[in-house]
Amino acid sequence: MSKQDKAIKSQKVPMSRRGFLGLLGKGAACTSALACTGAAVGSSLLGEPKHGFQQNDDQLAESINNPPKLDDYNWNDHSWAMGVDTDRCIGCLRCMEACKMENSVQMDAFHHRTWVERYTYLEGSNTAVVDSQADPKNIENAGSETRFRFDNRYKDVKVDKAFFVPKLCNQCEHPSCVQVCPTGATFKAKDGPVLIDTTYCIGCQYCVQACPYGARSFNEVRGVAEKCNWCYHRITKGLNPACVEVCPTGTRIFGDRNDPESPVSLFIKNNHVQVLKPEMGNAPNVFYKGTDKEVV
Amino acid sequence: MESVFHHVTPHIGFIYPNESELPWTQLIVIYPYITGLVAGAFVVSSLHHVFNIKSFAPISRFALLTALCFMFFAPSPLLFHLGQPTRAFNAVITPHWTSAMAAFGYVAGFYLCLLILETWFAFRADIVAMSKVKPGFIGKIYGWLTLGSDDVTPKALAIDHKIARILSMIGIPAACGLHGYVGFVFGSLKTREWWSSDLMPVIFLLSAVGSGVGLLIVLYVIASKLRKTPIIDETMRGLLYVLFTAITVVMVIEGLELLEIFYKAREGVETVRELIMGPIWAGMTIQWAMSFFVLAVTSILLLYNVHGEKLVKWLFAAGLAMMIGVLAMRWNVVIGGQELSKTMKGLLTYYPEVWGRESLSVVALISIMPYLTLWLVTKLLPPWKDGEEYGFSALVSHKHT
Amino acid sequence: MPKHIVRLLILIAAVLIVAFSAKQFLIPDSFYQYGHYRGNAVTEVASKLPKLQGSASCKECHEKEYEVWTTGIHHKATRNNEVQGVVYKYGPGCEVCHTGPAGNHPSKEAMPLSVEDKITSITHPEIKVHPANMAGRKLMLTPREMRDVCLNCHEKLPGRPLEQKQIEVASHSGEEVCTNCHNPHSPRIVYASLPIGKRGNAEAGKAIADTCAGCHGEVGMSLMPEWPNLAGQHFDFLVDSLKSFKSGKRPNETMAPMVEGLNEIDIRNVASYFSKFSCGVSGGDKAMAVLGKAKAENCKACHSAGGLYGSGSAGVSGNPSWPNLAGQNVEYLANTLKAYQDGSRVHPVMTSIAKTLSNDDIEHLAAYYANMKCK
Repeated sequence: MSKQDKAIKSQKVPMSRRGFLGLLGKGAACTSALACTGAAVGSSLLGEPKHGFQQNDDQLAESINNPPKLDDYNWNDHSWAMGVDTDRCIGCLRCMEACKMENSVQMDAFHHRTWVERYTYLEGSNTAVVDSQADPKNIENAGSETRFRFDNRYKDVKVDKAFFVPKLCNQCEHPSCVQVCPTGATFKAKDGPVLIDTTYCIGCQYCVQACPYGARSFNEVRGVAEKCNWCYHRITKGLNPACVEVCPTGTRIFGDRNDPESPVSLFIKNNHVQVLKPEMGNAPNVFYKGTDKEVV
Repeated sequence: MESVFHHVTPHIGFIYPNESELPWTQLIVIYPYITGLVAGAFVVSSLHHVFNIKSFAPISRFALLTALCFMFFAPSPLLFHLGQPTRAFNAVITPHWTSAMAAFGYVAGFYLCLLILETWFAFRADIVAMSKVKPGFIGKIYGWLTLGSDDVTPKALAIDHKIARILSMIGIPAACGLHGYVGFVFGSLKTREWWSSDLMPVIFLLSAVGSGVGLLIVLYVIASKLRKTPIIDETMRGLLYVLFTAITVVMVIEGLELLEIFYKAREGVETVRELIMGPIWAGMTIQWAMSFFVLAVTSILLLYNVHGEKLVKWLFAAGLAMMIGVLAMRWNVVIGGQELSKTMKGLLTYYPEVWGRESLSVVALISIMPYLTLWLVTKLLPPWKDGEEYGFSALVSHKHT
Repeated sequence: MPKHIVRLLILIAAVLIVAFSAKQFLIPDSFYQYGHYRGNAVTEVASKLPKLQGSASCKECHEKEYEVWTTGIHHKATRNNEVQGVVYKYGPGCEVCHTGPAGNHPSKEAMPLSVEDKITSITHPEIKVHPANMAGRKLMLTPREMRDVCLNCHEKLPGRPLEQKQIEVASHSGEEVCTNCHNPHSPRIVYASLPIGKRGNAEAGKAIADTCAGCHGEVGMSLMPEWPNLAGQHFDFLVDSLKSFKSGKRPNETMAPMVEGLNEIDIRNVASYFSKFSCGVSGGDKAMAVLGKAKAENCKACHSAGGLYGSGSAGVSGNPSWPNLAGQNVEYLANTLKAYQDGSRVHPVMTSIAKTLSNDDIEHLAAYYANMKCK
């Protein structure tokens, strides 16, 4: 390139009016496009989610007028909830065994749809020592990963206070797991439980990360996520979930909140109940009586 | 069933029973790392294409190819990781937009197409030339790549240049999206104390740019040594500026994030402290040691106005350190976050497997492939234009050392 | 516009059209029906067959046990039967202690497999997704195994509410099997160990025993192999048997008139007399006895002092309410087992056990115990 050309090139050419207006116009168009996109995104985030992040009006109408075809069951009639009375739990773990059998859950220590935690305040301590049946010492005491039993490690120690807390999926009103599923494989059914479509899940495990309660796990055998679904295949047939069915002390209470006389409605009405980790904003549907400040 | 303690992650304290196996491991560590390298390399390429910064002209095409080759392999760690990889496209067919991960298919796909297009526009003149010159089957391939047009008139080339520029401009926010969404995937999760932060997308993006620059420094030096061509001083200086900027901002923001956690001192902060002192102590040390090293080296190189051989040597070291430091940061975030139990009363210690589906050997394989691909692609599409075309006469050996 | 741009645009347009059409085509049926998910998934999840059948399903075949259970504490194991108007389900049902959903019983083939389980059992035969298939999972527990099951709920653990009945194992029962004293279906009823009270007077019993000696021998070793030896038999068991003959609970044409004239004290005295003798060995076929030994493993739980795993003379019962079998007559033993089998003699535990024995088993067991030394 010659020196002259270079000089010309380096000179700043003033913009014509036409050019300037053109630039303004382009700028306006871009800004308004951005603004519109922002507004759309914002309104979708701020707008009221109908039900578990998923429904628009048409879908809501469809779920009311044309519910899934199940014998003697209409999901519009029910609103399931669960209660747990931790004052009664004896930590026998029959609920765990029943769940594993009923739902063919992997019989090892790492995949649980429900489990029980033991909180022990040793003498003079203000915080609790926590263990669950998946603790290696408890597994050793039980004999294998397929047997469930808490050991008696505190029998020679002074214990101020101790109790058992059963845990399971809380089937939240605003489930974090549903929010983060990239495909729509997990979803909240109209009658309450959060279900997993195991033929659609891609096994990315984002939902496992997102659950604040650790209720979800990854099933390596099937390559999909799994969790407790309140034995949906039982409650749609008028039965109780397996864990509720076998609990020998009546710790687990299940029922329909639409029915004011159902066990769970009366449980909620007659007791001061709490939920786990309310600050998460998930609005769980498992109500606990008798939990403690230390319960995680 | 006999007790199958497959991949038990040892832990102390109390963890939820389902947490015993970490869901996201090495593969999810290198995925943001690779996309980060892509974003970083692309930003450097754009510095020339969009902002007309002359010092990056010699490496801008090479940076573009680097971005492209690494982008090819960006989805592979995810595919290896998925429980059902054959269903991977479910997230594209029915993307659930409340999930940041659903953005992956579209953003990555868009970005890959953008990179391919921009490469095509940037290299079209060469492709046309080679289609005429190269014999046999290779010549035919180049022929197809020209889309049957051998128009290399100045007018056509000017249009190419303009389009490439526009694509570059779109590419910068796209790169922010590509890498920012990964940060959002982690940062938006209220469940994990170590991840939940507004700063996370910014941290990821800026460290990505840093690692990309580091990568380019390393590759440029190695490529020049292999090709026995001079390393252009202006280019190295330009890379130095970018690296310095990146490391300072990154360190400030990462430091801010840590400070915030400990200042707010929410419930469970003692466990966070134990996490840093315990399971991720080594990773944190590497990350911050490397960061300080890069900061120190780049500061000194700037302060003392270093050029020539010394610049090359030290900047190379800084670039390598940056790459290692950012990898350590990814490890600390992804694995460290999961080593801190959701109960905030327990800590796990993850030991990576060497063989298997999600293992170090797969990570090594995936890490090597982009470099091999880049080497092949540079043979197909030579990015280098040596000599005075850029107006530089400053060769390394001539400038004062 | 230059040729290559036009062609590029056409190419891009073609790719986009193909991509979007593919996307539309690949969306599964019923997706977006009720929300961002496959509507059909709801019915798929709900259509799995339940495995746990509930205790009522056991009633049909196990009526006796079910009846005992419904009247016992295991059916109403809470503080109050009704809590503020809500009747909770109480106590362990059958499937809790008998470790396995009734859906797995009586045979594996009858088990209703879910579709997923069926597929898994074909594609991954090495994976035992059904716990009922696993070693160690049985429906009918031996008393020793039952001890573990009982202790699972009833061992004293910190954290268990005080309303739960708990025991310190070492001081309560040591190594003893729970069912020696407790009926597992209704544990508060201690059916096995009766309040016998005072021992009788053996001297006084001798006088009454003169009549008995006609069949049962002077020293309690009976004259005919069909009649049982009484020598060295548990006092409690003898009292229990005589009382059963008298009340008709144990129908026996020969013994009924014999005990008609005896009162409570007489019964104790004569029982005391016979239990003091040393028992003898009546002997049986040695070859059969060997076969019987293997079969007798489960009998040890009640009829051996050490229970299933303890040391102790096999054939000498740990609980005095249950008969010693060591050295008993072969014929008598065989006849007794057959009587349990055909229902002419009834016992809550022995009836169901006898039903699992074949004729050969009975012969072998009888020979085994008949050969046994009882001391």
